[in-house]
Amino acid sequence: MYSKANTPASRSQINTEPTDSNTMEIETSRRDFLKVSATAAGGLTIGMSIPGCSNYRANEYRTDGSWSANAWLEITPENNVVFTLDRVEMGQGTMTGLTTLVGEELRVAPERIQVVFAGVANEYRNPDYGLQLTGGSNSLSSSWGQIREAAASAKVMLEQAAADVFSVPTDQVFAENLHCVNKRDGKKVTFGSLAKIASKGSVPAKVALTESKDFKYIGKQNNRVDALSKVNGEAQYGIDVVKEGMKYAVVIRSPFIGGELASFDKAQILKQKGVIAVVEIERGLAIVAEKYWQARKAATAANVSWQKPENMPESSQTILDLYKRAAEEDDGKSIVNVGDADKAFDSASEVVEFEYTAPFLAHATMEPMNCVARVSKGKAEIWTGTQAPDIARVAVAKVTDVSLNDVTIHNQFIGGGFGRRLSQDFVAEAAEIAFKTGEVIKLVWSREEDTQHDLYRPATYHRVKAALDDQKNVMAWSHQIVAPGIMDWYVWDASPAMFPWAPKFMYSTLGHAGLLTAGTPITPADHSPYEGADQLPYDFPSINVSHTKADAGVPISYWRSVGHSQNAFVVESFVSELADKVGVDELAFRKNLLKDSPRHLNVLMTAARKAGWGKPSEQNVYQGLAVHKSFGSYVAQVVDIKIEHNEVKLVKVVCVIDCGQVVNPDIVTMQMESGIIFGATAALYGEITIQDGQVQQSNFHDYPIMRMNQTPEMEVVIVESNEPPTGVGEPSVPPVAPAIASAVFKATGKRVRSLPVKLS
Amino acid sequence: MHINVNGKPHEVESDDDTPLLWFIRDEIGLTGTKFGCGQGLCGACTVHLNGVAIRSCVTPVSAVIGQEISTIESLKNSDGSLHPLQKSWVKHNVPQCGYCQSGQLMSASALLSANPTPSDEDIDAAMSGNICRCGTYSRIKKAIKDVSGTMNAADSGIHPDEHLQHYNLDLAYEAKIR
Repeated sequence: MYSKANTPASRSQINTEPTDSNTMEIETSRRDFLKVSATAAGGLTIGMSIPGCSNYRANEYRTDGSWSANAWLEITPENNVVFTLDRVEMGQGTMTGLTTLVGEELRVAPERIQVVFAGVANEYRNPDYGLQLTGGSNSLSSSWGQIREAAASAKVMLEQAAADVFSVPTDQVFAENLHCVNKRDGKKVTFGSLAKIASKGSVPAKVALTESKDFKYIGKQNNRVDALSKVNGEAQYGIDVVKEGMKYAVVIRSPFIGGELASFDKAQILKQKGVIAVVEIERGLAIVAEKYWQARKAATAANVSWQKPENMPESSQTILDLYKRAAEEDDGKSIVNVGDADKAFDSASEVVEFEYTAPFLAHATMEPMNCVARVSKGKAEIWTGTQAPDIARVAVAKVTDVSLNDVTIHNQFIGGGFGRRLSQDFVAEAAEIAFKTGEVIKLVWSREEDTQHDLYRPATYHRVKAALDDQKNVMAWSHQIVAPGIMDWYVWDASPAMFPWAPKFMYSTLGHAGLLTAGTPITPADHSPYEGADQLPYDFPSINVSHTKADAGVPISYWRSVGHSQNAFVVESFVSELADKVGVDELAFRKNLLKDSPRHLNVLMTAARKAGWGKPSEQNVYQGLAVHKSFGSYVAQVVDIKIEHNEVKLVKVVCVIDCGQVVNPDIVTMQMESGIIFGATAALYGEITIQDGQVQQSNFHDYPIMRMNQTPEMEVVIVESNEPPTGVGEPSVPPVAPAIASAVFKATGKRVRSLPVKLS
Repeated sequence: MHINVNGKPHEVESDDDTPLLWFIRDEIGLTGTKFGCGQGLCGACTVHLNGVAIRSCVTPVSAVIGQEISTIESLKNSDGSLHPLQKSWVKHNVPQCGYCQSGQLMSASALLSANPTPSDEDIDAAMSGNICRCGTYSRIKKAIKDVSGTMNAADSGIHPDEHLQHYNLDLAYEAKIR
């Protein structure tokens, strides 16, 4: 149904305060908010831009102070809608979610919309970051208003065009299923045939969005639009790309973290069957061959030696020692300082104090790292799956003679991201090999390489302390986190990507500047070490949270739920410990402390009720729980476990999420299931260990992933809400480990203060 | 020296010890079968050898000369419609990133060929060799159970193209597997 807000009468009322996130009249003062141009083929191209004066967004992104329009939506003369998706599809459902938003406002089924993956352009930057990243579970929340506005604008302009064609007032026309219908006589005209006329019209100053009570697709669309191509073998991932004349490359990299190439027998390698080139690159030694297996065999047989670096991270033990020393010597940066913790500890009846650790973790995407690169005549073309195509361009520019704007990234379906594909190391490798050999290169990593040359979820060390008074009330909570900063590693490619006009010689400077300006509007502060530990929902009178930075030199990056992945484990586990210390059931203990956190309380109590908290379904079943907010969403989980053959067997997980307005309900459920398995895998098996400077794990036999026979029954409950949508890709990961740890304590009497859980 | 893939013979140009996976993906160009681990640990490379599920990443081409290989691309019915498992996968919204799903479907179809009404334990045993990092296992199991028992033996196998008529096949063996 058309929106009544579109009538002339309502336009006289400028509504600047949104009363409901679903019905918003957006006033735009700039006439070129949406630049409209007719494409050569006669299709209508609507540029969607983020209005500078958008009044519901607190953090706006501005480049030189304005957004130049570009295309998200194209309407073709053949009456197709083509939607350019700028948030990558890696399983989490952005393709379906964002297409649903378009479908809602254009009034057409999402399945009817053709989706293409965006190249790099300023318009496609993630408004929360100022970079074209997909990550942080914010694709829907950051696109919620903008994508809908532009689709609604397109619809309005098409209706106006139809009104002209039918010679009726615009309120006598409505758009539906890629047609505009004349309400008076039912005659229809296609979007495609209206495109040219619509493009001569003016962009509406205000556009009303569909009211939530009228939603046809939002909150109702469950079918994934990419399901078919993923069951018939047709979905193309980076590793599937084939280009004319393509050669295959394998890179041998230092087994020692940070090591350098010492020597190699080039002649010996060139003698191997099918090998056509051997080149040194920044990150190792590249072998190029006619066929992949030939390159792989030549790499295995190659005589290569490596030089250990000076400050090599020696072992997991030396890294932990480093962290402990840092904790002793450096109080670190104060993150939270509420009340007077020192006084509380001095006057405490009892002080409870523990150490917690969490290990390095690999991403282990099912699709190993890969990239196809062509570099010739000052231009570069890249085919890969990447979560950050603009940063990929920087990585390519750095290792070739190609300038940033001459690098084209062709993004693909991604066989697992989890943050791994935010880093562009594999793109840089392929580009450098292509540049140095002049060949079109397909680089494929083995699973061993993928496991050993990851950028890991950081290992961290924690000291937690609580002060109890003589009534066993918790008077103070203290948490010292020893951890490296992910931004220290990430900034080198990310900063230059924010300044695409900058010449290459400035890249290093921009990296330094990015570090220096961290915490300012130029560069966001690096929350990764302490997120999940800093915004405690619990009512403790005094809270101290501090971060001591310590970096062992192991490459690190963003891993699904980032800092929350280890901090929720520590925080929720310590809360459970305190409950036990105080002699109170951990649910009741939390309930008492969450009086000012209603959304936490709601998901927690709902999960407890659904899981039959306190009344396990059978004997030998033990229950643990956890509640945690991350990426704007509130999640509580209750885990039922058994101990069988001295191993933890997950029987059931109840998961309750409050993520605001839901766009695709079944996708929310899928993401809860996904995060539970991901988090449980980490909690029960996940550990990257280092010995003699080398990562010890290599494949799925020693870095196991949960399998079907280990999967628990899962029940997901979604809280109904009209709040704007918040994230679902990551929030179900953090609560799993502490919920399992708590259940293990109930079963064994032993506390779990390090991961993975080890019973003996 | 040739291998029959989806009913068509393909000359083998790769070296003898090349895993079948790379022959399928790179020589023939059928990229539906995926590379995940190279050690037979994850199941992404699962194809059918004479109707039985094998891991093509640890099967050298030399071991399957003259044999019949079926990949995900031929799972659909001979009239082009989706295999019941594929329909069920879509109905239950199984795929997330989707990378493991070709292997999952090939393992599932081999299971149902041999055992049209598997128990939960049977499904676990047949499917636990296929890793899904996105955690779609519960939906895979539901999708298999939705189909099992409703399929008769003739539907549950793989249907190669008509070209198959021209080549020597152990048809009796095929019938036994189905």
